[in-house]
Amino acid sequence: MQPPILTDNKWIEEFTEALNLQKSLSSWKQYNMAFETAQKNMISDFQTLEAPKQLPQLTFHDYQYDAARKALNEMNGRAILADEVGLGKTIEAGLILKEYMIRGLVKKVLILAPASLVTQWCAELNSKFYIPAVEQRKKPQWETVDIMVTSIDTAKRGNHAEIIKNIDYDMVIIDEAHKLKNKKTKNYQFVREVKKKFCLLLTATPVQNKLSELFHLISLLKPGYLGDEEAFNDYFQRGEHYGELQELIKKVMIRNRRDETEMDWPKRIVQTVPVRFSSDYHSVYQQICQLKQKMKEEYLSPQSGFLVLTLQREFCSSREAVFMTLKNAVEKREMPSEQMNQEFLNMMTSLNHLPSHPKADKVLDLINSWEKDEKVVIFTEYRATQLYLQWFLGQHGIRSVPFRGGFKRSKKDWMRQLFQNQAQVLIATEAGGEGINLQFCHRIINYDLPWNPMRIEQRIGRLHRLGQEKDVNIYHLAVENTIEDHILKLLYKKIGLFEGVIGELDHILEKFGSNHIQSHLSSIFSQSESEGEMRIKLDHLSSIVLEEENEEATHATN
Amino acid sequence: MQQTEICKFLKVFFSENGCAITETSPYSIQVQLTEELDKALMNRPFYWHYIEKMGGQPNLSTLSLKTDPNEEEGELIHFGSPRLHKIFSYVIEKGRFGQFFEPVPPEGNTVPLKPWLCLNGKIVYHCHQKKEEIFSIGLSLITGEMLKEFHSLVKGGSLKVSIPDFCFTLTPLIKPVSGIERIHKYLFHTIEKENHQWAEEAMCKMDKELALLERFYAGTAEKPPSYEKEKASITGLYAPSIQLEIINGGIFHLHNHPLTGFSLEE
Repeated sequence: MQPPILTDNKWIEEFTEALNLQKSLSSWKQYNMAFETAQKNMISDFQTLEAPKQLPQLTFHDYQYDAARKALNEMNGRAILADEVGLGKTIEAGLILKEYMIRGLVKKVLILAPASLVTQWCAELNSKFYIPAVEQRKKPQWETVDIMVTSIDTAKRGNHAEIIKNIDYDMVIIDEAHKLKNKKTKNYQFVREVKKKFCLLLTATPVQNKLSELFHLISLLKPGYLGDEEAFNDYFQRGEHYGELQELIKKVMIRNRRDETEMDWPKRIVQTVPVRFSSDYHSVYQQICQLKQKMKEEYLSPQSGFLVLTLQREFCSSREAVFMTLKNAVEKREMPSEQMNQEFLNMMTSLNHLPSHPKADKVLDLINSWEKDEKVVIFTEYRATQLYLQWFLGQHGIRSVPFRGGFKRSKKDWMRQLFQNQAQVLIATEAGGEGINLQFCHRIINYDLPWNPMRIEQRIGRLHRLGQEKDVNIYHLAVENTIEDHILKLLYKKIGLFEGVIGELDHILEKFGSNHIQSHLSSIFSQSESEGEMRIKLDHLSSIVLEEENEEATHATN
Repeated sequence: MQQTEICKFLKVFFSENGCAITETSPYSIQVQLTEELDKALMNRPFYWHYIEKMGGQPNLSTLSLKTDPNEEEGELIHFGSPRLHKIFSYVIEKGRFGQFFEPVPPEGNTVPLKPWLCLNGKIVYHCHQKKEEIFSIGLSLITGEMLKEFHSLVKGGSLKVSIPDFCFTLTPLIKPVSGIERIHKYLFHTIEKENHQWAEEAMCKMDKELALLERFYAGTAEKPPSYEKEKASITGLYAPSIQLEIINGGIFHLHNHPLTGFSLEE
């Protein structure tokens, strides 16, 4: 085929004018220098990367270089960059973007990052890649700024979204793209309607729970690549055509794993710290456990099992967390019987008489056993616990700062700064786990354990990432003989969650398909009649997971 | 470009543009910018606006540059540094059009100079990828003779921007505009003979993705706005084209034929 040939009419016009008017004519030296300079900057072939020549002070790891080459040459600039947390996806994206800019294929760029990372994206692109990225301001100039970094929440707002949708972007980069896993959300619809030639989706966890999440991500890049949703579900969800799916995915997704990168990573030193309930705590815990039986006797709704489960988990975290849930239930009159209501009120009173939470005491012991001012990030699932811990540590002269997903970007930056320079402890809730880099800290306390194993990896990844120079110490706190202990001992330990090779875990989760672990756990805990039944079921779950893992291993050796 | 090459380039560039250069070491220089370069390179439009409005004496910037990272003073210039790229675009902008004369030494007789048109440029092969090829073609505006690699034939001569004594220029039989057309025609012709497998591959990718897109939306009766957007994105990404980009060009008034070499300067 013969592609259309376009001529440089602007030059011809200007040349004719320059000759006629005898103006803007160059000297012989200028003329020569111009042509020489243009030759020096010529792109001589389709494939060789030009960007590294222009970034002499950056050293890329081989896997990063390969990722960029693959995304550019094999994936046509539409790719999911899904390296494990901390391997430098931003660097890969920067390299790809730079290459396209040098080649003149990309001018107009939109980068959507979590609010807390917008500033950092800008700083890195400017300082490392000399890409003049601009942070969106109060009055964003979508049309005039060529390389704009903003958060998706800002961009999707009505007045902005309309403007953005009318711009032809050469490239759109989306950081933490797993947030787009649900096609019904506004975010997803918005991204889908942005016109984008090249597109990079960055995520460390392309599959969190279900395969369909990956389907939706890929459909943003290449709609139809995995068929339509129905066909996809029919064909792949049952896990029969897994190999085929993997082959397809490999063509749009690059995933480097820590243990495959042949680099000397700082170690992860994992330690489980058992916590024992004192008798007063223990008796309240028992009280909660007995609720389940009582509720059953009153034939309350099936969700009541779940409520008890929540209370149990919360009680292992802090009195405050349980208290909030009880208070809510009472206030909303969720309890149909007066007797249950009274039960709850009694429980609230007994909570009031409890001393400080043994886990909090344990945290204090831990911190005191380290060198003075040794920094630590504490992750908890509950806001009430977060507040309590901050107060509690404050009582003992330890400065801490809170961190939540809901904070505004500026506040997140500020908190991070405070933590780095002034406070010893950062207390983050789950949603706050993403989108901050805390390489300067070497210790994590998992104050309570999330039920989605990928979340643990994300937490650890905040610290254990490129740029971390020391080994990272990870402490899991679990109260003995409680639901936490079960999760820890019967499941996480068995599947080797903490041993560090978590990279394998997402394989397993991918295979699990829609039967995801979380819902398994919920149903096991809320529906088991006895301790024994629960043990057996958990055992079962862990052996399924292990089996998948073994299968994976045999596949790999074949 | 290697660092030593860049260092040389910078020195030539600044001295060509009338800046005073102080060599602080073999790999670092200090440059007193002229007003024009200050405006072009320093990115301070507000300052210049202010000075011009107020009619004040401008305080011209001094640049301290180094090409060896081990030097202490100065801003490091390397092939990727934005400063260098600003200089590059300035250089290219300043050298787009020319009119040059062969320096024929006066011999008593008047000497005719024959007009040539030269176009230097790039053939840009463009789809989801991009590559470029340089061309330099000269055309005699008298005979219509065409020469490839024209620039390398003339670049050694110290051509002048004004007509030497005892010389007169012949009026072109071919107008420059038609000359440009002839060169374009020649380029079209060469391009058409090339193998355009790259374009076929790009089209193939485009068709495949468009087909996928159709299938993806096949079930929906009324296609959502994203459909059109995605379709446009795919076409925009892959559609192959070739651009003839002209870097610079000029009219050359030459006494000797370029293949035989030029008169040297006295």
